[in-house]
Amino acid sequence: MTTRRNLFRAGGTLALLAALPFAAGTAEAQKRGGDIVMAQQAQPPTIDGMTTTAQASRNISLHIWEMLITRDENANVIGDLATAWTVSPDGLTYTFTLRDARFHNGKMFTSADAKASLERYARVGGSPFMKPVKEMSTPDAKTLVITLNNPVPGFLEQLSSPRAPAVIIPAEEAGKEANKIEFIGTGPFQFVEFRPDSHVKLRRFDGYMQNPNATGRDGFGGKKTAWVDTITIRFVPEGGARTAGLQSGEIQVLEQIPTPSAKRLANDKSVTMHEMMPWAFQTFIFNASQPPTNNTKVRQAIQAAIDPEEVMAISTDGSYRLLHGWQYPNTPYFQGDLGKEAYNQKNQAKAKQLLQEAGYKGEELLILTDSSFKNHNDTAITIGEQLKAIGMKVNVKVVDWPTALSGTTKKEGWNAWPLMMGIEPYEGPYNVVSFFAGPNARIQVEDPVIGAANATLNSALTLPERQAAFAKFQKQMTDEAFVLKVGEVGIFQATRANVKGYKPYRIPRMWDIWVE
Amino acid sequence: MAGFLLNRLVSAALVLLFVSLATFALIWLVPGDVASQIADPGASIEELERIRRRLNLDQPWHLQMLSWYGNLLRGDLGQSFLLNRGVTEAIIERLPVTLSLTLLALVIAVTLGVAAGILAAVRHGTWTDQGIMAVALVGLSIPDFWLGLVGIYVFAVALGWLPSGGFVSFSQDAAGWARSMALPALTLGLTQIGLIARITRSSMLEVLSQDYVRTARAKGVLPFKVIAKHAFANALIPIITVTGVIVGVLLGGALVIEQVFSLPGVGRLIIGAVLRRDYPVIQGGLLLLAFIYVAVNIVVDLLYAWADPRVRYG
Repeated sequence: MTTRRNLFRAGGTLALLAALPFAAGTAEAQKRGGDIVMAQQAQPPTIDGMTTTAQASRNISLHIWEMLITRDENANVIGDLATAWTVSPDGLTYTFTLRDARFHNGKMFTSADAKASLERYARVGGSPFMKPVKEMSTPDAKTLVITLNNPVPGFLEQLSSPRAPAVIIPAEEAGKEANKIEFIGTGPFQFVEFRPDSHVKLRRFDGYMQNPNATGRDGFGGKKTAWVDTITIRFVPEGGARTAGLQSGEIQVLEQIPTPSAKRLANDKSVTMHEMMPWAFQTFIFNASQPPTNNTKVRQAIQAAIDPEEVMAISTDGSYRLLHGWQYPNTPYFQGDLGKEAYNQKNQAKAKQLLQEAGYKGEELLILTDSSFKNHNDTAITIGEQLKAIGMKVNVKVVDWPTALSGTTKKEGWNAWPLMMGIEPYEGPYNVVSFFAGPNARIQVEDPVIGAANATLNSALTLPERQAAFAKFQKQMTDEAFVLKVGEVGIFQATRANVKGYKPYRIPRMWDIWVE
Repeated sequence: MAGFLLNRLVSAALVLLFVSLATFALIWLVPGDVASQIADPGASIEELERIRRRLNLDQPWHLQMLSWYGNLLRGDLGQSFLLNRGVTEAIIERLPVTLSLTLLALVIAVTLGVAAGILAAVRHGTWTDQGIMAVALVGLSIPDFWLGLVGIYVFAVALGWLPSGGFVSFSQDAAGWARSMALPALTLGLTQIGLIARITRSSMLEVLSQDYVRTARAKGVLPFKVIAKHAFANALIPIITVTGVIVGVLLGGALVIEQVFSLPGVGRLIIGAVLRRDYPVIQGGLLLLAFIYVAVNIVVDLLYAWADPRVRYG
């Protein structure tokens, strides 16, 4: 195995030399070399990262490609291939200054690649954020200018979102349709092979050029020092087999380990568990267009009745925390105690009173849920039992995930739907609000207050205005009980004990880790 | 013989037509939508409709069905909605995994099952017979996914002898292939040993009581020769029949075993397609499995004539 000392003798690349000051500052000595096998449950629908919102793809694509701007450890926007940017006072023009970077085919990155990549995103990208873009220009090789038709305050948040990441590909590839490109990026790892239903293999890109402004690992960005030679991302659908692979040492990193297994292995010295808290919101979405949940008092009765602690403890196997807000604490749009009074009431008397005021006559409450995600199923069943205790007639209909997802786009056939929202709250307020706003709102009614909040959030140029709009959204969600935020879900990622430097995040990051 | 074969081929074609029609009907009856799988969860109704139009899912069911059969007659199973490749291509690249798993499991099941059945028949009424039949019953009762997980924990985690999952191709590394297939094939095969053992035992018991066996023994023919040549050869027909049935069971079991051991086979392809509503893959995959099953049954019919010269097809 090659050591850091040997790297000097080997005359490593610019990237590795750049990494050494950081390496020297840490308590443990990083080692170059070795292979890491990471296992994830699902196989990616595609490796073409910008075309899909699938997490299974994101886990892979964000090792191969980089974005202009991305998110830091706390989900704030930071530069990646763009080192700086300015926004014109009218909110219409964004000017990005780009850094040096090298593609895996040896070509140097320029603004033409950035422009062509975003033009392709507008055609095949997985999110619609390029719609307001009027034009893009490249005054020089290091500058990209994006002009919008109208101000979009959340444009940088969308551009930097990892949901369907706006990754930068060589301009020569950008004319190709979805899933037809060569997998060439500027990231710290380059593509080797994809065996469907088996694995993806990547290897360290020794020509990787690090962000000169970064000092270390930082979210999806930062310095990104690749220590291991290769990473193999295996697709292992069976949770028990993933855990067994970790225990036997065939797998070194697990994207997610079932919470009971994480607790069982907590004292096993050969493995290390990493809790990622929070990972997602657990929500309970009402269909506000159908009886009995079209009645605000019925929804408020359910809001008063449920015991979130019991629901979260059962549905997450103990990895949860109780919080009412529609953004995470310590983020710009977190609203403190707003709406807290309506959360975790556990007040059956009040619930019964509200049902009486609503004129509830024992109409069936149909909870549509799926068996594909344990926490959805458990949330539905636990809340169902709690509602039976206040005299409601509850029917829990369990289907598979595609059926539930498709069924809840329709107005008929359901009253409530448990959904874990993972990436939306991580991205910030925009996609949380838009999920429940407009004619396609998942609550099946177009609420004017939520609509107005969404409009302001997407047009106001100052942060206080947008924060105020988000506060109105959160208040309306609480007052009208359109959706219950049940709690926040955590997950466990896991590594072998000889994998060093690992820090849990929204994807298992294979940079800045090494094998001892 | 030619007439028999033609008759069986026509029957097989009808069976495959029925299977494809039934699959088509099931796909239309099952709720859920591939468009909502492809689109962002917050996608608008218009966006979902656009995806459905792109995939021709907005067409009436009979037009979709006619289009599918038209393509099938040209040897084209269509394009996967989600895999970015043709269904035929997706199946072909996974078929070696499923076939090797099924064949290995079949060899294990038939070899051990027949041996156990003969031993039980020869030691009829003894503790050996009772023990083999009891173990056979247990084997038949154990769910293969459970046995697979137990196997992983014993042989991969505790003993470290075999990998917990994954596949190594034979061309890449023959020893690696054997190691990667050992536990899945054993798991799949072990659950079927009991059935073959029971059929072999009962068939052998029937033959062993025949006059010609008694005569052979009276003539002083060696016991091994009596069992192998006179008894077993005449007990083959039911064993061949049940082996044909087991191929179908093993193909079905491979769907589960491929999930448990993360093997990139046709079974995993079909399960993934069902979970994500990739209709062309479901349709093509099930048609292929039905084709294999029907082909095996034709082979079984032909083997009857080989095993028993009295069988004539006219």
